[in-house]
Amino acid sequence: MANYAEMWKDLGMDLEAHDALCAVLPTAFGDVYLSQENRPEGMGFWDMVVADIHGIRPAELIEAQKKGQKVFGTFCVYVPDEVVIAADGIVTGLCGGSQFWVPGGEKVLPKSVCPLIKASVGARLERTCPFFRIADMYVGETTCDGKKKAWEILGKDVPMHIMDMPQMKRPQDVKKWEGEIKEFAHIVEEFTGNEITPEKLGEAIHTINEKRKALARLYEARKAKNTPISGRDALLVMQIAFFDDPVRCAQMTNKLADELEQRIADGVSVFPAGTKRIMLSGTPMAIPNWKLHHIIETSGAAVVCEETCTGTRYFENLVDETKTTLEEQYAAIAERYMGVNCACFTPNTGRVDDILRLAKEYDVDGVIDVNLKFCCLYDTEGYTVEKALKDAGIPVLGIETDYTDADAEQLRTRIQAFVEMLG
Amino acid sequence: MEEASRINYYILFENYTQGMLLQELLREEHISSRISPAPRSIQGELGCGMSLLIQPEDIDRVRECIEKNHAEYHHIAALPCQINPRRNRFC
Repeated sequence: MANYAEMWKDLGMDLEAHDALCAVLPTAFGDVYLSQENRPEGMGFWDMVVADIHGIRPAELIEAQKKGQKVFGTFCVYVPDEVVIAADGIVTGLCGGSQFWVPGGEKVLPKSVCPLIKASVGARLERTCPFFRIADMYVGETTCDGKKKAWEILGKDVPMHIMDMPQMKRPQDVKKWEGEIKEFAHIVEEFTGNEITPEKLGEAIHTINEKRKALARLYEARKAKNTPISGRDALLVMQIAFFDDPVRCAQMTNKLADELEQRIADGVSVFPAGTKRIMLSGTPMAIPNWKLHHIIETSGAAVVCEETCTGTRYFENLVDETKTTLEEQYAAIAERYMGVNCACFTPNTGRVDDILRLAKEYDVDGVIDVNLKFCCLYDTEGYTVEKALKDAGIPVLGIETDYTDADAEQLRTRIQAFVEMLG
Repeated sequence: MEEASRINYYILFENYTQGMLLQELLREEHISSRISPAPRSIQGELGCGMSLLIQPEDIDRVRECIEKNHAEYHHIAALPCQINPRRNRFC
């Protein structure tokens, strides 16, 4: 098999600790993914990415760095990839989705911080993830208090730029975000040594839009009555989209979408007819967090949509490609990103509108509103979300969980009861 | 119990290119294979890595295909089925 030990050593990783992660990943992947029947053939690409997850892509990034490219690690769907790509930089998502990294984060953060933040900090400080070692600069944002304090800790270990998110969506807030994007562009230009021109930014906007369109095609296929792909597989595509090359991501996702559209035409589904359709709303599920999808889909239901940052929030709405000056382009980017409805905003009625719209579009039987433990924002907004769904006559189950295995059976019991209740 | 006692075969490779080439050859001969992270117990050295998961009923045809095409691989390991969707062990 491929041996990346030298590469990991050169990155300063703790090989012994990392090996413990390499030991659990194959088991979890086998249980969640290889236990499924009749998966689309196109998923082979994503299976391969996971099989060599700390090898193939990290090696590509290191090769790019040798040629002078800079790698920017991000943690939020508000950070505009377009700006980095326009300066010939590379973006890699860095959100941690494994319990393996949480104890490392808890050495410097309170336990009452969400697992995503703790895992992200742990992955960096414990030196057990190549992506966290490779990124030349981290880009944080002020979407929650836990992240803000985490950046202060990470910033002592790695170059860090922080984008100040507005908390409201008034015209002056969109303008403020435009200013943040311009400042970020300036930082990226300085860090890469490459000037961002309208032509380069235009190309980058197009590249990322094409990726969004491909992911939207994948989701469109999930609206079919005979669901051609499992929620677990769709989630995997989304998770890997955060750190794969955007052009390759679009290409492979479009190829998969071709297969799914053919499956729909042929009446091929991965679920028996009548399987209850579930939408998830709430907090993101970073790789390799497959827990809830797996429990739902081994409890007699199918996940057909995610209103999360690793779901529709990542690809809905495009940046206007008709603008030709940097001024206009930055405004268009700000406009698109401020259309993302995160619980960090107040008021945030747009998110409730999204959830109700998506529930209808994906013809769901019920919604599971899931929040990572200690995510105060999404947990608090859960009240409004659940009330709106109940008022609309859509069954909803609220769940709070983390990355541990401990509550799996309890969740299964609750979810099975919810699915049975759907009739 | 029946599933756990079933033998699965994992084909290991020096690199993923070898693995992808063999999977293509198997596909051409309509032999089923699935890409899987190689179980740690058979990796032998530090590393993640892809393997091809083969069901016992297909392994003879896979060996024939490898021989006929001089396909490159590192090792074929037989293991009791490692897959258990009700294990509740996540990463």
